[in-house]
Amino acid sequence: MPKLKLSGVSKAYGATVALRRGDLEIESGEVHVLIGSNGSGKSTLCKIVAGSVRPDSGEVLLDGKPVAVSGPQASRALGIGIFYQELSLAAHRTVAENICLPDMPVSAGVFVDKVTLEERAARYVRLFEDVAGEGFSADAPVNSLRADQRQLVEIMKALASEAPVLIFDEPTSALDRAQVDRFFEILRDLKKEARAMVFISHRMDEIFAIGDRVTVIRDGETVGTSRIAETDPAAVVRLMVGEQDELAPQTPEPEQARTTTREVLLSVSGLSGPGFVNIGFEVARGEILGFGGLHGQGQSSVLRAIFGAGLVSAGEIMLKGERLAARTPRDAIRRGVAYVSGDRGRDGVIQGRPIIENVTPIHYLRNRLTIARPSALRDKALRALEALHTKFATLSHPINSLSGGNQQKVVIARWLIDRPDILLLDDPTKGIDLSAKADLFALIRKLAEEGMGIVLYSSEDAELLNNADRILVFNGGSVTRELTGADRTRYNLYHAAYEAA
Amino acid sequence: MSGNMLLEMVRKPLVVAIALIVVLLFLGEALSPGFASVQQILRLLIVAALLGIVAAGQNLVILGGREGIDLSVGGVVSLSAIVAGNLMSGMDSGIPLAILACVATGAFFGLLNGLGVTLLRIPPLVMTLGMLGVLQGLLVVIRQGIPSGRAAPALSEFVTRPFLLGLPGIIWLWIAIGLVMAFILHRTVFGHRIYAIGSNEQAAYMAGVPVKRVRIALFMLSGIFAAIAGICLLGYSGSSFANVGEQYMLPSIIAVVFGGTPLAGGKGGYTGTMAGAVLLVILQSILTTVNIDESGRQMVFGATLLVLMLFYGRGRAMRA
Repeated sequence: MPKLKLSGVSKAYGATVALRRGDLEIESGEVHVLIGSNGSGKSTLCKIVAGSVRPDSGEVLLDGKPVAVSGPQASRALGIGIFYQELSLAAHRTVAENICLPDMPVSAGVFVDKVTLEERAARYVRLFEDVAGEGFSADAPVNSLRADQRQLVEIMKALASEAPVLIFDEPTSALDRAQVDRFFEILRDLKKEARAMVFISHRMDEIFAIGDRVTVIRDGETVGTSRIAETDPAAVVRLMVGEQDELAPQTPEPEQARTTTREVLLSVSGLSGPGFVNIGFEVARGEILGFGGLHGQGQSSVLRAIFGAGLVSAGEIMLKGERLAARTPRDAIRRGVAYVSGDRGRDGVIQGRPIIENVTPIHYLRNRLTIARPSALRDKALRALEALHTKFATLSHPINSLSGGNQQKVVIARWLIDRPDILLLDDPTKGIDLSAKADLFALIRKLAEEGMGIVLYSSEDAELLNNADRILVFNGGSVTRELTGADRTRYNLYHAAYEAA
Repeated sequence: MSGNMLLEMVRKPLVVAIALIVVLLFLGEALSPGFASVQQILRLLIVAALLGIVAAGQNLVILGGREGIDLSVGGVVSLSAIVAGNLMSGMDSGIPLAILACVATGAFFGLLNGLGVTLLRIPPLVMTLGMLGVLQGLLVVIRQGIPSGRAAPALSEFVTRPFLLGLPGIIWLWIAIGLVMAFILHRTVFGHRIYAIGSNEQAAYMAGVPVKRVRIALFMLSGIFAAIAGICLLGYSGSSFANVGEQYMLPSIIAVVFGGTPLAGGKGGYTGTMAGAVLLVILQSILTTVNIDESGRQMVFGATLLVLMLFYGRGRAMRA
């Protein structure tokens, strides 16, 4: 009998189905790997087990008995311990306090039992002795630690639950080699104690080093479970890709010739900064260059760095043959660089203000205007909005009155009044509807045809495969593979994204 | 049902403010006949203009968001009144220099506030409160030994005597400031940028708005408006005495919030603030009429701000 079993669980957020049919069986004494591409539903599955998301249908069985996981506390009471990918530490408390936070030892009913707390914490701190690095101790406050050390605290916290079922959602993303090895040793010991463990990672080498079985999830559905010993990375990738692969719809072939003969607009060499190392590429006039790979492998940081909104520690950016060292977005905009963020609520939309004010700021800046005359700009604004088939009542309606997709269209339209040379798209379709996406990509292709250079990072692989002339696959902060022409397949994309960096 | 109607009303702060003004005028007239006479209303408008000019700067700083607030306005008003009084010493010939010096003083302290808030990242509340302390200390130092000075006759006339269509110059000045504010906020790129940084600073930054420069300019304008109010206040009272400006801090904030600009910034405007200033002055006058002393008035003002927060303080939720 499996220790934990999920059968046919589903979850929809409004019209978006996050999980269609999730099945998962975990035995005692195994490390069970869960893998799937961006947005395939892994995290939703984990959240259901953790109790932070209630499934719409399906069953969760623990030791063969159906259980209702009504919240994080309930899951802990049931004996399920979870490592959270989003760090959930109390920044100003010590390592020891954080480790014991979910279950504080208490004396006389109210006082924290310091002695017990320190003893218990020491047990877990000792596990990572001599790999934790400088400055790591039980009494160090968490905010004084490095990212990898904080991740270790998070692991210790999960281990301290001493739960029979442990779930690790990307526990190794910030760890170095030695720390990962130690963590795996600990997992092997836990296997001997017959604990059931779920391990989520995007690193094939790690998956094959520690996993016993692997379950692949694709588009919200569990597509198969195999024993690690009986499979290989290529087979796992094929499961993740599914039937839909084969060639990307080909854009007309002359593109190849065109990119080699056309003027280079943007040239980046040796660019390094927080989250990316030694990035180099060129974008020609009329080209759509794709950035692919898993989330957070440096794609976004590179785009923001070029736009002057992120740090650069080394390297050079040339725009039309001249050095572009934008210290602020303002510099970059003046030089003809545009940037559209996928996080429109944070980086794009000026909430509560009329649509016209959301469309005009770039025009004012590039033309150094001081007097705002919305009536004189009406036609230009309307034309820009029309290019994207934006639906709105009047230009003076607040932008909040629009749907998410139309809000993003307004944000993009602000770049269309005065055309930039380079358009940087940072996962621009996140959370917008299908028809808005179609409008957006039609426009992007048109802009490229008219001579704009475009860099497109998308977390949706289909968008990249359908629209990019070339794809650079990011892995661990650098470009590990370039896909051109017929190589632009989902299989190749996944393969490059999931292999060890 | 009545809850919905109340909400609907609260959404139009200008309507509420004007309705309350009318109600208070009737109330005042009932309590003390002659309260709403033309002469009396004119006097109230002069006092409201003084408050309204201070509130113009306060309004700009609050619109710019990120907990923008200027607690130092009262100190700048006092300092400006003293500087102007000493430079004029009762002579018209001293007026141009006095205006120049006061505006420069206001701009200087506003600049310090702006630099502290943007470059040193000190929260505006703390920065301007600290600046208020500095200004109060400075006032004590200046007033030792030096006579406090007198207003030039022309200045007093400008503030208190009818100038055009029966209205004194200061009312016309206030109307002009109202028009200039409306022009700045709605017809200049700078104005649009104020709203942009007030409603989403990060998005404004990504759209090329020089966020720090705009914010520094807002604090400087606040200092300049407070300085202008200080000069006018000197004209109103004839001579400057210590801490005349102190009474402006809280009311200037209340006038802004009453006028429909939430403390979170990003929306609202100056027209409502002008109505808010008139409303507050009438309220103050009624409290005086019914013999509530200064401490009582302060309590009423404090309570008014807190009640207003209850209705208008929810602007923040939208930004989440």
